[in-house]
Amino acid sequence: MNAVARNVAAESPAPLQAGGLVHRYDSKAVLDQVSLSLEPGSVLGLIGRNGAGKSTLIRAMLGLLEPDAGSAFVFGEPALKLPDHVKERLGYVPQQPDALAWLTATQMFDYLSRFYPRWDGRFVENTMQRWRIAGDKVMAKLSPGERQRVDLVRALAPQPELLVLDEPAAALDPVARRELLREIALRAGESGTTVLFSTHIVSDLERVASDIAFLHDGKLLLHCPVDDTKERYARLWLPANVAHAAPASVFGKRRHEDGSVSVIVERDSQGAWPDASRLPAARVDALGLEDLFVEIAEP
Amino acid sequence: MDASLLVIQPASAEPIYRQIVEQLRRLIASGQLAPGDLLPSVREVAGLHAVNPMTVSRAYSLAEGEGLLQRLRGKGMAVAAQRNASRTAAQRLALLEPQLAALARQARELELPAGQVLRRLDQMMGNKAP
Repeated sequence: MNAVARNVAAESPAPLQAGGLVHRYDSKAVLDQVSLSLEPGSVLGLIGRNGAGKSTLIRAMLGLLEPDAGSAFVFGEPALKLPDHVKERLGYVPQQPDALAWLTATQMFDYLSRFYPRWDGRFVENTMQRWRIAGDKVMAKLSPGERQRVDLVRALAPQPELLVLDEPAAALDPVARRELLREIALRAGESGTTVLFSTHIVSDLERVASDIAFLHDGKLLLHCPVDDTKERYARLWLPANVAHAAPASVFGKRRHEDGSVSVIVERDSQGAWPDASRLPAARVDALGLEDLFVEIAEP
Repeated sequence: MDASLLVIQPASAEPIYRQIVEQLRRLIASGQLAPGDLLPSVREVAGLHAVNPMTVSRAYSLAEGEGLLQRLRGKGMAVAAQRNASRTAAQRLALLEPQLAALARQARELELPAGQVLRRLDQMMGNKAP
């Protein structure tokens, strides 16, 4: 039995894996049977509206929150009982960093560098300089954007194998955001870092993500490679006189005031759109991710 | 070729890897990229445009598979010797077909006559209206 367990563990387990996560606040289900797994080296963009459950999912996957049901594993270890040697491989930036705010950034980096064997001091120095952040100021006095960037440096410096960022771009200006995306993209490409980041800025996700997961009302509606998403889904619009022919869709239908209908459709295994798309006056529109997201998430 | 020659539009309905392949196709068809020209490395493109390196590799592999590019040992990707080295104007025009079809549809929706659209297009392309 033990030998089998060891063998399974040796086959480098998924950096992050969760099954059947359920979590309720009061009686409202914030996570409703969410299962998600990340391949090594992939960059998964987690997208959803505010309140969709993104932060809760991330916290549950990392063991920072005990779900009502389901399980989560980080590099094969139960998330709720992570041993130190797994924590070392993980970098996490919460949405609102507030830890150690009474220290200066330099003091925090000095302190943390002792715990991480792969701490990259040069990266810290270069990045703080490039981002023009005062290392000698108490972090509580930094602006939210500066504070978030310090925390990103803190998470990247130990060269983690798994990087988890909760809304990393929220407080960043466009230039800093682009720099962060570049850092994510190159780390994934060159060091094989696995990345999970949540965002509601769809264009960020389109640039760097290899995969995308849509979280809506606590359910995972979609999880596939970014490129596939754009090629596999489209919006079918049917005028009122043939609206009844609209195919069923897991994403629901939108009925417009003039009786016309639009529905998100998916290509079949031969790559063809549903029959209704060949009706006269039917229109199939390719969608960018933002439009697809809005079509799905709008009530 | 410099990585900045590529234009990436994440919001477009066209996946980024396809945007790259189509741009290479046009640049090669027009002769702006000549056979033997070296392409920027995957890292340069990914770094400059802040896109996932896998997306760039996928585009390069696809372009290689189509015979647009060839992999040079130790040097990276280069523009391949094209089978039909000098493309005819008709062949180059065919590459614009999807964009023209979209333009035609939108012009019809706006009830704009072709002549008017063509005159504006002519101006945008830097020619004096006849």
